[in-house]
Amino acid sequence: MLYELAQSLTGGLLIGGALAVLSVGFSMAWGITHVLNVAHCAFAVLAAYLGYWALNRWGIDPLLALPVMLPTFFLLGVAMHTLLIRATARRAHDPGLATMVLTFGLGIVIENGMLLAWTPDPRVLKTAYSALTLQVGPVIVQAPHLIAFGLAVITIGALYLFTERTFMGKAVRAVWQQPMGAALSGIDLDRVTTIAYGMAVATAAVGGVAMSLLYTFDPATHLSWLVYVFLVVILGGVGSILGSALAGLIIGLIIGISSVFIPLAWNNLVLFGLLIVLLLLRPQGLLQR
Amino acid sequence: MHRGALRSFGLPAPDALIGIGVALALAAVPLAGPGTYLLGFLFTIFMYGALAGSWNIIGGYAGYLSFGHAAFFGLGAYTTALLLFYFGWSPFLTLPIAGVLAALFAALVGYPCLRLRGPYFSLVTLILGLAMYSLTLNMPFTQGSSGLFLPFLRVDIYTSHVIFYEVMLGLLIIVTAVLRQITRTKMGVGLTAIREDEDAAGTLGVDATRLKLQAFMLSAFLTGLIGGVYSYYKSYLDPSFVFATSISITIVLMALFGGRLAWYGPLVGAVVISIVNEMLTTHAPPQTARIVFGVLLIGVIMFLPDGLMSIAQRHLPTLALRRARHPATRDEVA
Amino acid sequence: MTHHTSRRQMLWAMLGAWIVALAVGACGQAPAAPAAPTTAPAAPTTAPAAPTTAPAAPQGAPIKIGCSLPLTGAFADTGVWVQRGYEQWAEDVNAAGGLLGRPVELTIYDDESKTENAVNLLNRVISVDQADLLCGGYPGTAAAAQMAVAEKNQKVYVSMGGHMASFSQGFTYVFGAPPLMGQWWYEGLYGWLASLPAADRPKKAAIFTINNPVGAAILEPMPEKLSALGIEIVVNERYDVPLTDAAPLVTKAKGAEADIFFANGFFPDSVQIVKAMRALDYNPKLIAQGVGSIIPAWVQELGADGYYVFSGTAVHPSLPFEGISRLNEVARAKYNAPVAPIYFIFGYAWMQALQRGVEGAQTLDQTAIRDWLKANQITTVAGTFTFDERGLPPPYNYLTQVIDGKVELIWPPDVRTKEPIYPKPAWGQ
Repeated sequence: MLYELAQSLTGGLLIGGALAVLSVGFSMAWGITHVLNVAHCAFAVLAAYLGYWALNRWGIDPLLALPVMLPTFFLLGVAMHTLLIRATARRAHDPGLATMVLTFGLGIVIENGMLLAWTPDPRVLKTAYSALTLQVGPVIVQAPHLIAFGLAVITIGALYLFTERTFMGKAVRAVWQQPMGAALSGIDLDRVTTIAYGMAVATAAVGGVAMSLLYTFDPATHLSWLVYVFLVVILGGVGSILGSALAGLIIGLIIGISSVFIPLAWNNLVLFGLLIVLLLLRPQGLLQR
Repeated sequence: MHRGALRSFGLPAPDALIGIGVALALAAVPLAGPGTYLLGFLFTIFMYGALAGSWNIIGGYAGYLSFGHAAFFGLGAYTTALLLFYFGWSPFLTLPIAGVLAALFAALVGYPCLRLRGPYFSLVTLILGLAMYSLTLNMPFTQGSSGLFLPFLRVDIYTSHVIFYEVMLGLLIIVTAVLRQITRTKMGVGLTAIREDEDAAGTLGVDATRLKLQAFMLSAFLTGLIGGVYSYYKSYLDPSFVFATSISITIVLMALFGGRLAWYGPLVGAVVISIVNEMLTTHAPPQTARIVFGVLLIGVIMFLPDGLMSIAQRHLPTLALRRARHPATRDEVA
Repeated sequence: MTHHTSRRQMLWAMLGAWIVALAVGACGQAPAAPAAPTTAPAAPTTAPAAPTTAPAAPQGAPIKIGCSLPLTGAFADTGVWVQRGYEQWAEDVNAAGGLLGRPVELTIYDDESKTENAVNLLNRVISVDQADLLCGGYPGTAAAAQMAVAEKNQKVYVSMGGHMASFSQGFTYVFGAPPLMGQWWYEGLYGWLASLPAADRPKKAAIFTINNPVGAAILEPMPEKLSALGIEIVVNERYDVPLTDAAPLVTKAKGAEADIFFANGFFPDSVQIVKAMRALDYNPKLIAQGVGSIIPAWVQELGADGYYVFSGTAVHPSLPFEGISRLNEVARAKYNAPVAPIYFIFGYAWMQALQRGVEGAQTLDQTAIRDWLKANQITTVAGTFTFDERGLPPPYNYLTQVIDGKVELIWPPDVRTKEPIYPKPAWGQ
């Protein structure tokens, strides 16, 4: 029992890290730019595919492909925001809703584009370290899980430092907390939100690669990943970077613990139930604005 | 005000006249002897129109976007289905029970959930939808994971299609009438106030808590009714059909696409999206059809972000719902 | 408002498009079917020809055959292969003189993996396209819903079926030829295990089943069958998808010292389970898997980790039935597949069964076809079948095992292509 618990908790924690890095961009986009990017996980799956092909066509590990993917996805996000989202949001009575429909359409386009290009066959990432494990006491840690967790720590840490230390980052945080005040202080809202959005999409790429280390994927997988993202964002609070991190870990832990003590079939129900209760007790999420 | 002038003659307003005319025309369609396919297709359109419309009461009018309305749909569907399966009671008779059960469920979850605002309400309802799916899957008496087969209607296939067609049309008319009626009552004004600025509404004497709950329960009741009919129509029920998140999302999409502030907005959204989807599926290769659909969605929402109805609202002011014109009260950025 | 006028123009153009679409949609009763979204592929030069005798070209009004398949969405990977199987059959039939002397014309719609669409599209096939014959849908939930539609319309429906529940509703027009019957999934496994001396059989079973109709069907007969084999069930749990962490399943099985592990699930969750087994160094003597280990992606993506897994299937490219070897060559030539994929063969077999019924009854009358099929024996690439009043053949399923990157047949002994490797070698060997 104790061994099972320790094993499940460790696994859960590491998976939680991957969920956190997948979700942090969505949370940022929603909180700072007020855009519900339901195509967020479609971008993540796209990144997963790119990493997969980098490995299978050219022998380049997805982690090494990330430095190339990051600026690409950033620019993609910036383009998306400038060309599509800003125009829509300005015209809309309710920008959040209109952009949601927009990103929904975008998600469909991306998914079916991938379907056309790469067929519906499911993919599994097989890197040099896929089968490697570490023994920490009685607990076995799988290398891909550890690496996904590492990616999460680096990315979320970098994001956090960015918002704390750099000027642009502080501007982003200001826009998140107090848009009117930020504008009054001379911050160019348009520029800041566009950059924030670009960063959100870039982190989706990291999230996609992290998830691909753990799970199989095909073009339709982005919808099931989106469920995880919603769960993390609810718990962590919309827009909070550390909140996403914490929420991801907690959700991973909950999944780990519940699989030991209750029948597996009730796992998801317990998770949902706990989250609902948590939300009702603390509506703003774990870390408030 | 020509609307008032007309009313002094005892006639309903022009938009209601159009609505009644369309309803009568649709009801008479089976007389023209269309094929079962058209009846089935229109059934689906009516169903989504009614679903988007019921959603709109809480989502569009009150501004509380529920992303888990499939929970009420599925609850209604399983209520009539199980009553039919275990006791042999006709769903047409047990329909009200389905609606009431859904409304009670809404009251139960609405009381705590409606205290959440904006995105958090949306997310909690999303989870609710997922939880209902999981629950139904695991409860033995729902035949959740093996699927539920229901007996057919004891008439020939064509007649059964006509019956379901008329019943769903009836539900659509009820939902649309309710939607329209709300805009003319204190409830409508109250919901608008809640949507635009809930706290301010409170100071104006609007009992926001009670009103929200009423709207939520009404929305759930209607949605439950629709679900109750649906299960009988399908004859085979599986939790993934009725509790699917894609249903919840589609309903929201249709209402937003059509324009959630007008009483006919969700209906128009449902009609357009259903027809466009159908056209694409039958005339284009599968993935291309979906891509074109996505592009159309993006294109339309970019030019008409408030939904298709904003065209009408710009050119036909009598059809517009009154809405706040003070963007300064909103805290929007991008 | 710098782009005011151009935006307005675009607005009106779009409005015009909607109106046109509405008008066309309102004329939905027009019986003229649109050009089929899928066209039969052109016969490549390297593909072997059909039967040697040169038949007369089919003549007359085409026989319309219609259905829907998931060509996009969650089940597209299988749906596409079933479609290819159907198309191959149509091509072969037309090359051999047609059905009842007439050419066949296939119309396969995409239901986007949504049952709602599957039901509507089948209605469309029946009443708008006025199809003469129906082809089957996928997966089991769509097929079950479509079975109800076909029965209401009194049309013969040959498909994978929706497991035993769907064949217990008193439907008369439906056939599983062969069905993908969850309840029969491990028939081959049970048969083979029974042939082993009791001392060699595994003793303790850990069963993990996906929470959906397929899993429920596979699980249903297991307690009885396993106890008859003297195997004790020590873990029996169901799990929801997506499966976030497979490690707890493995630790439970390991903790209970189970030496036979049943992963009654689909591809994604089974892949995770296998990976977790390797990581946690759990070595049961036997791993049995539900759906997913016999598709090409299993070996392609998992590699050696996926070896030695047992599963079940109702058709196989190594079966000694007439037409199978030719299908293998066709799959190689056209689709670059090493052998004919399972669902390609299924699609072909289902259409062949329908074909036998039509040729046997010598008519397109659905009731006559139904009655003929229930009274006669038919032979297809899937084997020889007779059907009971439910539309099912006698229960059977072949046992397969992945050996050296290929899906080999293990049981019954007359179709065996390789000796099974049991117990499973330890990971990495």
